Amino acid sequence: MSNIMRESHIMKIHYLTALVAVGFVIIHIIVRVTQGFANSLEFESVIANYESIPYAIVLEAMLILISVHGFNGLRIILLELKQGSAYENAVTYGCLIAMIALIAYGSRTIIMASMGMVEA
Amino acid sequence: MEKDRKEGIKGMANPGRYGIERVAYWLMRITGLGLLFYFIGHIYETSNLLDGKAAWNSMLELTQTTEGHIFLTLVIGMCVFHTGNGIRLMIGQAGFGLGKPSRADYPYTPSSLNMKNKLCIYVSIGLAALAMMYGLGVMYDV
Repeated sequence: MSNIMRESHIMKIHYLTALVAVGFVIIHIIVRVTQGFANSLEFESVIANYESIPYAIVLEAMLILISVHGFNGLRIILLELKQGSAYENAVTYGCLIAMIALIAYGSRTIIMASMGMVEA
Repeated sequence: MEKDRKEGIKGMANPGRYGIERVAYWLMRITGLGLLFYFIGHIYETSNLLDGKAAWNSMLELTQTTEGHIFLTLVIGMCVFHTGNGIRLMIGQAGFGLGKPSRADYPYTPSSLNMKNKLCIYVSIGLAALAMMYGLGVMYDV
């Protein structure tokens, strides 16, 4: 990544995604607790959550922010263990691909559930 | 110091040496990895929603056990510690709470490893413990 973006910029993104994600996670937990933990996990309740567009946006934002933060964190840990041009590129692009795959998979769930494309 | 060099990466990684800061270093990485793996599992778990009510309920049953509750309690603890310690690190990187620069005199105690930082680490661990207890209360409907 360092040949695409400066490490100082990546760290700013790392911190910013963490702070914003904490805010969204607090909203996510408040929604679960205020509905009653067990009740909020009922199938109909979860579907209703996804069908609410503002909440679906919160979920999508959380998915992107936590994926970026998490996989960049993994990249940092792996780069602390070993260095070298080939290794660093493999770690960076591997984490980037895994991050995109996870965001795509999670977005599929959010989009399909919010559009009611759920098996009866 | 000589012993450290002979031990190599094991000496550097030893959480029993260099005080609570080294413990925090390890906890930060372990909780980060734990949360990433939980997050990937959570994304997979919620995708079962698309397969209908039966699939969702069977997946949910896995978390409605004592082991599932213990696992979720650990996730809550990891999340709170990672957040608290992460905020401490961000504040530190911004240059706050690191102490005043001074001449390096024996015994070369670094001003950055001060009580403020130590206290923040202990507070993060304490908050994580409190959140875990609250989480257990919610899950067991106490």
